Amino acid sequence: MLGKLGEKRIVVALAGSPNVGKSTIFNLLTGLSQHVGNWPGKTVEQKTGVLHRGDLIFDLIDLPGTYSLTANSAEEQIARDYLATEHPDVVVAVINAASLERNLYLVAELIELAPRLVIALNMTDVAEQEGRKVDPEALESALNIPVVPMIASKNQGLSELTRAIEQEAARPKKSRDIKHIEADSEIEKVIDHAAELLTNESVVPYSRHWTATKLLEGDEQISRLVKQRLPQPQSTELESFLKANESAAVTIATLRFEWVEKIVKTIQQRPPLGQVSLTEKLDRIATHPIWGIVCLIAVMGIVFSFVYSIGVPIQQFLEVSIIDRAREFIYNGLQSAPAWVPSFLGEGILGGVGTVLTFIPILFFFFLAWAVLEDTGYMTRVAFVTDRFMHLIGLHGKSVLPLILGFGCNVPAVMGTRIIESKRARLLTILLTPLIPCTGRMAVIAVIAAAFFGSQSILVSTGIILFSLLMLAVSGLILNRFVVSGERTALIMELPLYHLPNPRTIWLVTWQSLVAFVKRAGTIILAMSVLIWFASSFPGSSIDESFLAMIGKGLEPIGKLMGLNWQLMVALLSSFVAKENTIATLSILLGGNNVGLISALKGILVPASALAFLVVQVLFIPCVATVAVVRKETKSWRWTVFSVVFQLVLSFSMAILVFQIARLTGLGI
Amino acid sequence: MDSERIEEYLEAIYKRQRTETPVSTSALAGDLGVSLPAVTDMLRRLANEGFIEYTANKGAILTNRGNKKALSVIRRHRLWERFLSDILGMKWDKVHNEACRLEHATSPETENKLASLLGNVDTCPHGHPIPDKDGNIREQHVIPILDFEPGQSVCIETVIERKPDLLGDIDKLGLKPKTIVDIEKKNSDGSVELKVEGQHQRLGKEIAELLLAHLVPKKGKTATVEEIALSRLSSGESGIIKSYASGRSMLGRCLSLGFTPGSLVKMLRNSSGGPVLVKIHDTEVALGRGVAEKIVVARNK
Repeated sequence: MLGKLGEKRIVVALAGSPNVGKSTIFNLLTGLSQHVGNWPGKTVEQKTGVLHRGDLIFDLIDLPGTYSLTANSAEEQIARDYLATEHPDVVVAVINAASLERNLYLVAELIELAPRLVIALNMTDVAEQEGRKVDPEALESALNIPVVPMIASKNQGLSELTRAIEQEAARPKKSRDIKHIEADSEIEKVIDHAAELLTNESVVPYSRHWTATKLLEGDEQISRLVKQRLPQPQSTELESFLKANESAAVTIATLRFEWVEKIVKTIQQRPPLGQVSLTEKLDRIATHPIWGIVCLIAVMGIVFSFVYSIGVPIQQFLEVSIIDRAREFIYNGLQSAPAWVPSFLGEGILGGVGTVLTFIPILFFFFLAWAVLEDTGYMTRVAFVTDRFMHLIGLHGKSVLPLILGFGCNVPAVMGTRIIESKRARLLTILLTPLIPCTGRMAVIAVIAAAFFGSQSILVSTGIILFSLLMLAVSGLILNRFVVSGERTALIMELPLYHLPNPRTIWLVTWQSLVAFVKRAGTIILAMSVLIWFASSFPGSSIDESFLAMIGKGLEPIGKLMGLNWQLMVALLSSFVAKENTIATLSILLGGNNVGLISALKGILVPASALAFLVVQVLFIPCVATVAVVRKETKSWRWTVFSVVFQLVLSFSMAILVFQIARLTGLGI
Repeated sequence: MDSERIEEYLEAIYKRQRTETPVSTSALAGDLGVSLPAVTDMLRRLANEGFIEYTANKGAILTNRGNKKALSVIRRHRLWERFLSDILGMKWDKVHNEACRLEHATSPETENKLASLLGNVDTCPHGHPIPDKDGNIREQHVIPILDFEPGQSVCIETVIERKPDLLGDIDKLGLKPKTIVDIEKKNSDGSVELKVEGQHQRLGKEIAELLLAHLVPKKGKTATVEEIALSRLSSGESGIIKSYASGRSMLGRCLSLGFTPGSLVKMLRNSSGGPVLVKIHDTEVALGRGVAEKIVVARNK
């Protein structure tokens, strides 16, 4: 491809399994030039980026992490479709030197689809430390593919990699003569026979031989494709031939592994007898059914105290020094303008910006802690030890990860469900995520509980959080049983070796999560904030005569059942914009600052009502940003509406129940 | 007292103990090529040191301490044998005598370096298990190939080094440890006819009785080794994957992670009710219990 004069662009695709440091290498090569989006029509992240090297421009694309190129998941399908249709100039296979056998399996598959291939042999330090030192030159000559040893976490080997890519790009495209299946073997005859049953038109963009192999491997997507295109008699003939050769899938995989094993034997040292690796030592605790849970609780305790002890002071500082000052500035500066102008700017716009801004410090530290835990490999252990509990609600361990992320913010948590392969489990996790009390909810709980329950507020807050987790479990049981249908898939998950996180990766991941939050949640919060401002300022002159009040008063009959008056119903509704808005709305409705708010609240609420308010607040419809991502990730209005209605019913009925019980037991009038 | 001789004695007692306990003085004298009084004298001293229990007219039994020391010598011996044959390329009938000299002059540091250089070999070139650093040794379940029946397939595990001059012949016949042979016929003169890698061979009794083997399941026939669900392996046990009970949907994902038939899988954690953690192809993989129940393995003894 030619761009500007003298410029040459080459398209480079990064392929590799999960946990090989592929993202780290991609991040190092592209830095902040990268663009994060979705693969067309898929909820799988697509990252692209650019690297300049003299007159040469690398257009880099990060393929999804896959273990093979058989379509067991959307990721694998994307990766191979890309290779087969886009024909990148060079494919870089990133492999982990510490688990060479499994990684070379993917290389065995890549060889067939990528005429120009470079192997980035990453994590050579980890391999050495585990007693599995690899000889890169021997690997290179065994495969006849350029091999670049790297330690991406220490930024080593990058320039060698780009040089190797450049050289490979200049090499004529020619298939390599590497065969992991011998030409005259029995299985090759079976593959050839299947290939003869196909037509060239039916396999586009793949080759017949490749398609035949995948058909024999039981690849569902390829089977569907061929079935649609192949005319009758052949189609039936092929089907019966495949049926008769069902065992071929196992044979092909076995042959590939045997080929890999033969290579590995000659190029890699074996660890000494009886050596216990660091990972195994740590996993004795981290995956233990009891200590593993203790460890998880301890880690989460540390994470949350870290996040709040640093995040909250910064948040308060921003509130006071930026938002409050800006508001003062607006009101002072616009004294001559009509009254609604400063109100619109100060409450509508600044209110929205302020809400977003106050989330940022806490979320920043939360995402940071998350990125560190994820990059070290600990999070997969969390999925492992919690798997047995998640089974009770029809999920497996991987669903725990987005749920924990939900404690920070539900928005990235819903997006985080992408790691779950099964559609059913993913949908169920998405529906349950909003029941996790996020930072915004916890802030509201803290204020209300402190106002009403004084010294017992910690007890009450903890109780409310545990209550919402209990509701999550109960909802899981019900949804799993009666609502969500589909095939259940079991946990099959690699546990990577523990390693020290790479600061640059941590930083990029944190930064990207934060940017995604601001883009996705921030804009919606701002828009809704303006809308709420409008509803609270018009048509009457005071808030009591506004649209908002009308809606609140309309809801009062339901509110009465849970002991809430119209102001509280309005506050609850405003939490739809952002959970923190509850407090802000209450201060507007009841007047004045936080101190005034507390005494005002005490004047209009009995403890039973306060308790009911906490319950309804924690279980209420998630914020609008979460609802938006639920729609985006489920791609279904039906499920989005279901999610909203479900939580509406759940929160109201639980709050009514709690209020009535509390009243009967004497917590109020 | 010189340690080399102590080690020689303990090693000899250890080896004898597998066939007779207590080990008689005369048997030791024969093995070590020394006089009876010298043996008696030495055994008394070993008993004083706490390496053996010795009763004059019965013989010697290794104490725990003696056993440990014997295993440590054997470990060094077999590591050296490996080194000599694998690294230096020495013929396997020569390595025994060399190793006998080297084993006594090996410091723990050399031993560790040697072990890490060799990687995870677990047998000597003749197929005897190498004890680990802590003095544990893998039990071998093998019998002479003469005891198998025609029609059976067996895997040669160990070659007894009693007659070093025959080792060269055994090598030429391709009968090294880990070779699978089909027993075809047993003759009245004690010779055995068998098939080794497609070649028919006839072994004289002299050679046949040096080969120890275990049965392997014939291809296509029902196996005689115990085949169980992967979920039934306890933590620390390992097995070889045999087949899949069902589930085409999970098959693809399992295969691409390396759960192919013939692969060695080690159970790292199996606590009741939860998922299992296994090691396969150098990678730790968590499997839901449901998946682990559908993978059939042959338990390694």
